[in-house]
Amino acid sequence: MMEDERLRSGRLVYYAEDIDRINQILDRLLHLSDARCALLVDKEGHLITKRGEMSQGFDDESLSALVAGSFAATKEMAKLLGEEEFSVLFHQGVKDSIQLTLVADRALLAVMFDDRTTIGMVRLYANETSTKVAELLKVAAQREPLAGMGAEFTAEATKRLSDVFGGAEEEKKEKREGPGGKPTG
Amino acid sequence: MVQINFATREVSCKIVYYGPGLCGKTTNLQQVHTKAPTQLRGNLTSIATEGDRTLFFDFMPLELGTVAGMRTKLQLYTVPGQVYYNATRKIVLEGVDGIIFVADSSPSRRQANRESWQNLKDNLEEYGLDLRDVPLVLQLNKRDLADAVPADELSAELNELGAPTFEAVAVTGDGVMPTLRQLASMVLGRLNDQRSRRPGPRPAPVQEKPAPTAAAAAGAPAAPPATSGPGARPAPFGRRAERVVEPVVARDVSAAAPARSKSEPARPAPRVTAPKGPAVQVGGAKAAPAAREVGRAARGAGTATLGTTAGEPASAARPVAGGPSRRSHYTLAEGSRKAPSRKKVLVIIGVLAIVVVVVLFLLMRGR
Repeated sequence: MMEDERLRSGRLVYYAEDIDRINQILDRLLHLSDARCALLVDKEGHLITKRGEMSQGFDDESLSALVAGSFAATKEMAKLLGEEEFSVLFHQGVKDSIQLTLVADRALLAVMFDDRTTIGMVRLYANETSTKVAELLKVAAQREPLAGMGAEFTAEATKRLSDVFGGAEEEKKEKREGPGGKPTG
Repeated sequence: MVQINFATREVSCKIVYYGPGLCGKTTNLQQVHTKAPTQLRGNLTSIATEGDRTLFFDFMPLELGTVAGMRTKLQLYTVPGQVYYNATRKIVLEGVDGIIFVADSSPSRRQANRESWQNLKDNLEEYGLDLRDVPLVLQLNKRDLADAVPADELSAELNELGAPTFEAVAVTGDGVMPTLRQLASMVLGRLNDQRSRRPGPRPAPVQEKPAPTAAAAAGAPAAPPATSGPGARPAPFGRRAERVVEPVVARDVSAAAPARSKSEPARPAPRVTAPKGPAVQVGGAKAAPAAREVGRAARGAGTATLGTTAGEPASAARPVAGGPSRRSHYTLAEGSRKAPSRKKVLVIIGVLAIVVVVVLFLLMRGR
């Protein structure tokens, strides 16, 4: 039970080996089901990995956030209906469709497919894939927690924030001009 | 929960703008979208009503670039502020790494600010989180109003935790970037922390908690006003952190943590434990044989659309209520999860066999 809690809500850190194994599993899924692409998304909306052909202008970050939000919304609906949650969602489009499968109560497998294949095929292999990926996530959850990113990361992050958001110079400018750009005093 | 991916060399954090309706959360995000360098920001995705009121959330990814060899990203969300949308507000809070609370400086919105603040605390509790444990920045927005509540007064009403506070006029962009920068530095600085979230059980009704405002008023040191006066300004970076979350520059845990090079760190050896139950556990009710899974999926499937539907939605976003005892009322759902009896299986097989025979007979007759 403690392991389930850790898998559900602990921080999972992914290493190259984890992603390689997941990618292999996803590649097999795409090959067998003839789907277009597969994304593995953390329930909180972070993209873990993606495989397959992607259409141009494919905003996978926004899609990941929407997938996670969509799934979370239906989870609340399920609770109202007396279900724990819906483990599979399917959105049907004119050309492309997407199936979402819950993985180990921690991640979501999003499989996009078109009329080259059928929902049944996708669902069948997605369920198998979910089981295999769940094993890998469990292994990741059982590792010792990461001992922080280190002081170097923190120091560089501070500098980078100043570069992106503007540093002391911009604050001095605001101090002179005040909110609204109007000079103070 | 910050996602760290050494394979793709990415660190991703979730930041949520919270506050009452029409306080300026979406405006903040729009300003960030406008001001941030084009190559670092992604699309601003808004799920809103036709009246441009946030229905589910706004979302925008923002990259900080490469930090110590890791591509560092912020995922910025806003929540719907209207009281009606509490269920969706709670959803967006899941996995949050840092919160910017946007308060409305209008005198008529003081009560709404307080209610939203309490709502934030309540929703975090559902995830086993305490507001004191989450990086938090308070933004006092709409400072350009002629009758704006004095900043120190507004801050005293809300800021029981002594969070860094910034004045802002979001419609013009003033104060927007400093607010975000402060929170981002707190969130990224926290990555040195080994804490990972441990959800607590759903809390019992609040009975024994001390009144936070009373305790804060009695015990907290007299915090200097965040800002004062019409031309006053957000305090410089690094001097405002009066709460327990330490400013980025002050922390150094390198004595405990191994030195990090820019290459992937050595992985801790995985703990190998013998499985206690079935080798695969996808969660109790979901670890079902394929036939049942398809059945469940068929029940739950359908053309679901995440809508930017016009007008107010139907009463779908009611707060979740009730507990496990409600499930006993839904015998249909309960029954469908039971394994079919052998007799039923045989009957089904028998029927299928008859159907196949009939089909074959008709085909042969047709020849």
